[in-house]
Amino acid sequence: MSNKLKSKSDASVDSPETSASGVKRRDFLKVFGAGTAVASTMVGCTSESVEKLIPYLVSPDETVPGVSTYYATTCRECSAACGIIAETRDGRAIKLEGNPSHPVNRGALCARGQASLQGLYNPDRYRGPMVRKGGKLVQVTWDEALKVFRDKLTENRANAANAVFINRHESGNFPGFLNGWLAGMGMPAALSIDPDADYAAISANRQSYGVSWPKLDFSSAKLIVSFGADFLDGWGSSVSQQLDFADARAKIETAPRLVYVGPRRSLTGLNADQWINAKQGSEMAIVQMLAGSTTVAQAAQTTGVDAAVLVGLQKEFAAAKPSMILAGGNGPAGSDLCTAVNALNQAQGNVGVTIKPAEALNGFEGIDSPSQLRAVAQRMQTGAVPVLMVRGVNPAHTMPKSSGFAAAMAKVPFKVSFSAIPDETTAMADLVLPDNHSLESWGIAEPVRGTLSLQQPAMDPVFDTRSTGDVLLSVSLLPDAAAMAKDYRTHLISGFAGGANALAAALPKGVTSGSSSSPTPKAAPAAIAPAASSGTHALMVYPHPVIGTGAGANKPWLQELPDPVTKVAWQTVAELHPTTAKALGVENGDHVTVSTSAGKLSLPVYIYLGVRPDTVAVAAGRGHVEAAGRYAKAGSNAFDLLPYAEDKSGAVMFAAARANVTKDGGHTRIATTEGSARQHGRGIGQAMTLAAFLGHAEGKSEITEHVSAGEHAAQGEHAEGGHEFPGDASHEFLPGLRSPTANDAQGDLGGPAQKSKEKGMYAPDHWSGMAKRRWAMTIDLARCTGCSACVTACYAENNIPTVGADWQGAKVLPDRTGFGSNITRSREMAWLRLERYYEGGEDGGADFDTRFVPMLCQHCGNAPCEPVCPVYATYHSPDGLNVQVYNRCVGTRYCSNNCPYKVRYFNWFGYGEPNRPQYAFPEPLNWQLNPDVTVRGKGVMEKCTFCVQRIRETENRAALEHRGVEADEFTTACAEACPSRAITFGDAADEKWAVAKLVDDKRVYHVFEELNTYTAVVYLKKVNHPAGGAA
Amino acid sequence: MKTKRKWLAVPGFLAIAATAAMLSAYAGASSSEGNSPAQPIAFPHTVHAGQLKMNCVYCHFSATKSPDPGLPAVGTCMGCHTVVSPAKPEIQKLAGFWSRKQPIPWVRIHKLPEYVHFPHMRHVNAGVACQTCHGDVQNMKQVSQKNSLNMGWCINCHVGRSNPPLKARYDCSSCHY
Repeated sequence: MSNKLKSKSDASVDSPETSASGVKRRDFLKVFGAGTAVASTMVGCTSESVEKLIPYLVSPDETVPGVSTYYATTCRECSAACGIIAETRDGRAIKLEGNPSHPVNRGALCARGQASLQGLYNPDRYRGPMVRKGGKLVQVTWDEALKVFRDKLTENRANAANAVFINRHESGNFPGFLNGWLAGMGMPAALSIDPDADYAAISANRQSYGVSWPKLDFSSAKLIVSFGADFLDGWGSSVSQQLDFADARAKIETAPRLVYVGPRRSLTGLNADQWINAKQGSEMAIVQMLAGSTTVAQAAQTTGVDAAVLVGLQKEFAAAKPSMILAGGNGPAGSDLCTAVNALNQAQGNVGVTIKPAEALNGFEGIDSPSQLRAVAQRMQTGAVPVLMVRGVNPAHTMPKSSGFAAAMAKVPFKVSFSAIPDETTAMADLVLPDNHSLESWGIAEPVRGTLSLQQPAMDPVFDTRSTGDVLLSVSLLPDAAAMAKDYRTHLISGFAGGANALAAALPKGVTSGSSSSPTPKAAPAAIAPAASSGTHALMVYPHPVIGTGAGANKPWLQELPDPVTKVAWQTVAELHPTTAKALGVENGDHVTVSTSAGKLSLPVYIYLGVRPDTVAVAAGRGHVEAAGRYAKAGSNAFDLLPYAEDKSGAVMFAAARANVTKDGGHTRIATTEGSARQHGRGIGQAMTLAAFLGHAEGKSEITEHVSAGEHAAQGEHAEGGHEFPGDASHEFLPGLRSPTANDAQGDLGGPAQKSKEKGMYAPDHWSGMAKRRWAMTIDLARCTGCSACVTACYAENNIPTVGADWQGAKVLPDRTGFGSNITRSREMAWLRLERYYEGGEDGGADFDTRFVPMLCQHCGNAPCEPVCPVYATYHSPDGLNVQVYNRCVGTRYCSNNCPYKVRYFNWFGYGEPNRPQYAFPEPLNWQLNPDVTVRGKGVMEKCTFCVQRIRETENRAALEHRGVEADEFTTACAEACPSRAITFGDAADEKWAVAKLVDDKRVYHVFEELNTYTAVVYLKKVNHPAGGAA
Repeated sequence: MKTKRKWLAVPGFLAIAATAAMLSAYAGASSSEGNSPAQPIAFPHTVHAGQLKMNCVYCHFSATKSPDPGLPAVGTCMGCHTVVSPAKPEIQKLAGFWSRKQPIPWVRIHKLPEYVHFPHMRHVNAGVACQTCHGDVQNMKQVSQKNSLNMGWCINCHVGRSNPPLKARYDCSSCHY
């Protein structure tokens, strides 16, 4: 657990000294002028520089060097409080996985949760406490900082009732502790703020159900209608909702149909079977229509939607019971919409069936309204607030500039921040007392009522930070200070039923039964109604699906992760409908000025089919100030556009204003990872209708007949309601893997009859079983929602460098071409990417289907990349892996040119080499690097390995225990994280593995099967549920 | 045309020969066979592993259970040496590190490149003696690298040319990933 006394493998830091003997390889290379050979991280034949082996002073009991230790703890990236298992190696956390015993995330983990590690190791984190001296924050000792804090608190003792503490909302133990401390100091209770939470929906739920967030039981519903409720984009508890939604959709025959209503198709919207593109703010008319209080004609007029579509929805809604109606509250009168929807659910008999208040999620209990911050701003403006304390939130950014929060904050005489990472709010603070990261902290959360999720440190603090609990205890001015716990951990144990022993017994599992008290939400102040707003377009600002309202912006993995919808990374774009873009005369990347009464931004245009022609959509979360660190400043801050307005619940309205959009002549190349949004008939992401699926099930047509899907439709074999599957390639359909075992290094393409060719690398009965295995993966597109958690999991597991849009945090290369240098030139390194294709909607209409296809190395049995490598750096292993040997690779890139899937990535700039300007892991981000995976250097091709390091680790573990590898004993990082459980990995040649059954599913297809690549990645077709039902 | 080809062939051959020479020199230079640096404390493997016949795994405690063989903590040394020969100058150096709460900065001798993964436990548990790779450490006053640790040297055993023959895996991704 000590990171000061390093063990040998985590201290393998090159020393500048040189060895006393022998010609060193690097010297040799210099002599021969061959210095451009693979250098630095990947180099290094033996002892080229003198390395030290640093032993422990005293061996820690629990750890074995080189073997991971796992700690169950709790994710604090959002209010849901998922359970995580932190993998640590030699005292450092290197990977986070979901905790399978946790009731909320059940083993899955989203991209934000994965990226928690980059908050822990963020290079911009405060190294220690900071005090403002002469206008600048300077680092001081804790003694000095605490003295300043204590003095100021004493000074303001008389005025303590006017002090304000803004705390990041969390469930569990801390809020009660904090409020107890504040009460002792004579201060009012803390404001519990979660800027990412949909407060209008929470407020409506409290009114309707008495709980903040009911459990959504998707599998009981026959129809889901979402009015801007983005339950896959971070609305509520996205991991648990996604797990349930994917499970519901995977039961194909009874899967609910999803209809999405709103001006923009979010990720949730793209997963819908139907999009009703109602005008911004007009959703209420459709709810009223469904409730019967308004006519279809009126609703059609208000929403701008074709009456026939609404009639269809009305009919379907009346027939489908139970159903589930959800509403998001970001628009005007959001809480009214949410309340009306709750009433509609009640009337339909959905409450208790599909919407279960009795099994409510507890993570959102006690959240205060964002309007509290505005009320604080008004008080700060008058100078009535003597001391402002902020912990874990960044109101100077998340409160729109027009709210006046930041300006008012400047008038507070003493501002304390407990945030560990610099942001807009800490930049204004007089004193920064950085809190430990959640992975360095003790805590208890209550994600579900009656279940506690325990939080324990996975490692010692990276920097000189202190837990806020400890800080508050140490400056307590209470008369009975001596009676208080000596630190927060002691306090936690004293409040835990059964004390230290019970806590120690519960920690390995991470969850236990018990309860904590949620803070009582304070009554929201009277709301500020929106002023009349005019403009050419409706302006929709929405929280970014992974960056949220801004907390994720300082993590390069999240910046680099292409937005699941737009596929844009590192940039803020203005999304415009093709017809709108045409009318304005702009193409992708041309700038438009979006202006409102609050401000204006010049943004590059991203042409998006899924936004209404009268709407401009901009994601929030990016565009932080310089002080917020090297990564967070990317993009623009959409909040600057928002005229400040509150819903009557006290929620800040994100999607209610209008804006003028004009072309302004600028141009920025879009940093997108997408080649084309269309499949051009290649059948990469295939789908079938429910009717077709059921038709197969009834044996109407045998899939083994080798008849293409297109021909099925042409022959009219489908029942009514089925239509041609756009995007299906017309080629033969061969279920399963063509070569169940690949028993030679070249990949045996034959069937079982040819299995025992003599040219195999290993004898068929080799003890290692190498000749019998066939590693394979299935990806179920009926489950995949495109959330991209797998992508971030892959970055974390495989030491994949982030490359930046055209810079790595800062511009490092002169842009001679105008094309930028990294993502703008397709130099991203994502071994696994999420492709997103549209089918239909060529006319700009709302009726289009989306296909999400996780695309990774297909580990072809007959790989086009292998024969073209002049140095045999890529070959087929007998157990079915397409292997890339980095140290053989000389970087000809022939393999990449010959790969039909574009899944090989060339390391152009040495992103993994510390001495290069484009180094992706500045200290201490490099502490996260997985020691089991080579960090690749410049000039080397790299790609998905099927997590071969996990295969080897499992084989090693099995050998230690004198047994074979067991079925489903391990899985790849992407499959482990996937919150849709869409990915299954294993040995397809052994029927005990789950994947062996799935490769023979009737929905399977191979991408580009006509190329005879015999891929080991097998996709299961998406199933669409078109309007009108399956009949 | 023919003469022209001949004229091309000569420098072409020379270029190939020069490249070959460079590559072979490069391959040779990549080994640090024979490397025997001085250590911060002149730890005698001859006494511990030789005369006293201590099991290697007593100090290199994780060699049977981890890819990493393990290096004894300073506390492990002091476990004996608070009592055993505390007056000897090298032991006093050890005690100095211990009292200053400093780890000993041993100089690494056996190092594989970072693109090679060598699981110690698989080898030790398969009955490969430590000496097979590390040489007769029990007879070395100052440890030196006895073997090249180059790939060809590894493969020799993996394809069963060791004595006794141990047939291991030898496709690239057994070690390179």
